[in-house]
Amino acid sequence: MLVIALTRREASVQAFYYFVLIPMVYVAFAVFILGTVFQLVKMFGEKKHPTTLQIFPEKKPAWLWALHDTFLLPTVRRHNPLLWVFLMLFHVAFLLLIIGHLELFAKFSLFQVVAHDVFLGGGYVGIILSVALLFFLFRRFVSPYRDLSVPEDYYLLILLFLTVLFGSQMDWARRWYDYSSMTVDDYRTYLMSLISLKPAVPPGVDGAGHSFMLVLHIFFANVFLIFFPFSKIMHSFLALPMNKLRRG
Amino acid sequence: MDEKMREELLKLFQSKLNQAMKFYLETCSRCGVCTKACHVHESMPRVKYIAAYRAEIVRRIYKKYFKAQGKLWSSAGESKELTEMALQELYEAAYSCTGCRRCMVYCPFGIDTQMIMSIAKLLLVGASAEPEILTMLADMSIEKGKSVEIFKEGFLTGIKNLEADVVKRWKAEAGDTVIPVNTEGADLLYVALAGAHSIVPAAAVFNAAGENWTLSFFEAVNFGAFVGDPSRTKLILERIISEAKRLKVKEVCICECGTAFRVMKQLSGKQPFKVSSITEVHARYIREGRIKLDKSKFKESITYHDPCQIARNGGVIDEPRYILEHLTNDFRDMSPEPKYNYCCGGGGGLVALGEDTLDFRMKSAKVKADQVKATGAGMLVTACENCHTQLSDLNDHYEMNVDVRFLSSMVADALVRK
Repeated sequence: MLVIALTRREASVQAFYYFVLIPMVYVAFAVFILGTVFQLVKMFGEKKHPTTLQIFPEKKPAWLWALHDTFLLPTVRRHNPLLWVFLMLFHVAFLLLIIGHLELFAKFSLFQVVAHDVFLGGGYVGIILSVALLFFLFRRFVSPYRDLSVPEDYYLLILLFLTVLFGSQMDWARRWYDYSSMTVDDYRTYLMSLISLKPAVPPGVDGAGHSFMLVLHIFFANVFLIFFPFSKIMHSFLALPMNKLRRG
Repeated sequence: MDEKMREELLKLFQSKLNQAMKFYLETCSRCGVCTKACHVHESMPRVKYIAAYRAEIVRRIYKKYFKAQGKLWSSAGESKELTEMALQELYEAAYSCTGCRRCMVYCPFGIDTQMIMSIAKLLLVGASAEPEILTMLADMSIEKGKSVEIFKEGFLTGIKNLEADVVKRWKAEAGDTVIPVNTEGADLLYVALAGAHSIVPAAAVFNAAGENWTLSFFEAVNFGAFVGDPSRTKLILERIISEAKRLKVKEVCICECGTAFRVMKQLSGKQPFKVSSITEVHARYIREGRIKLDKSKFKESITYHDPCQIARNGGVIDEPRYILEHLTNDFRDMSPEPKYNYCCGGGGGLVALGEDTLDFRMKSAKVKADQVKATGAGMLVTACENCHTQLSDLNDHYEMNVDVRFLSSMVADALVRK
């Protein structure tokens, strides 16, 4: 009896793993890409504001200052330096992790200008990101940020935190088990199978002791991607055009 | 609110949703960096006076009716139905915001809260819940534009009566008209406010500079903009534009009125004439040596209040300081710098609403009073009618003991023969 029950549970777990690792990834990316493109096309298709929205004094060239405002967040630095430190850490770490994930697909000589193992940072980038996310989350428990926040703000932070938590600790978890399991090559096989539309889960990926962490990482990331086009995270694309409006 | 009404209002909402507005409504991350931006919040620290909170009141309705998130998962963004209650909230948000756009300087994205509040104001107009007096004043301006002939006679007599005052300040050459009106081919059309203080000093300076100018029939102020009604704003603006075109002037000079300047400068579109504020014109006269000022005229230390619509939102920042350099050796700029200058607390139609808003105007502008006091100046100069009224009220309320003055009238008072 027990053996049958265990096998059944095994089977349902396997099915869940498969669902998260393959169909859900496709759905998430489809929603993310189509949703984002649709939203952007819709917004940029609206008629332009008839007048200037800039504020003064002005600095030229406006586009350069708009880039400066978008990527260095000077207004936050001036008015909330602590938040600025965490925001910069967060966004830079996020960028590094995007690079890290791209390197899971294939080798990019561009990124290897500074030679490093995949992932770069040896887990510290993920830790920085987690700490920043906790900071963002807990500051929302305090007035006046608490009064300004809506559930979306918490959901997004919690989702990202869970994603980063399971993702960033994979390398560490690997040491509990057999360090030779779930290697970069296993990821490449899995990811390339997704890209080439011949999806398959190599045993190295769903058979390791800490596969559950990968599955949870991908699960939360999928949910985040599905939420993305309908959330304030669209600021990734809108921050620059908006700052351009302010700079004139 | 019945279904039909709601539909009408949502149509009005929709009409405001251009590209920039959508960016502003989609992007706020509620980071709260704008917390310290609003003078109302700095004077009365309540959450509802934080820029992001005000904007969120409009944004919640946007999410409900115009955003997929609100339709699929309403609770995530706390989207909200448009009801009578919501209108009340919109009223409070919009008419406690003076549209100074100081929060735009704080926001990492540069969200324009004034623009988001314009949705609230338009919905209130649509629901006939706006401050009636503003609409009435706007309609009067429009009416005047339609029937110039009726007003002409009285206007001309009124102007004639002012001439003696102008001559007292500046004796024109024999044969020159003291206050030219309706002069075709003049170089500059001056658009004043109804009131001698807006016409007399300006006329004296124009005459002193030997300007080929003419006075507009219409007053500059645009109540349509205060009440947030785009069609009325346009009609009021149109009167002046068509007058300027008819007289073939090269330049339209707006008197000391922030709203009028911003509306004419930024909303009139491409026109065959240049738009200047009277402050810019006066600075130009000094620079070109067309007028000369007596620096010993004013003995007291002077500080300058930057009207938001003229400085932060209109770009006229250096000119008033340049003029003041020629009026005093003791100029004390306010801190923080002009970009961060606090609103006087009277913008967005609040001063035009008079006594009704007096209590709020005084309480909400405590930081402004403190900012002025910190300079220790004896004279508080500004270049906007609204600001002048509000600053005078503040002067009484907070016993600031300053002399509140118009910059243009000081220029006129200090005129000397070259």
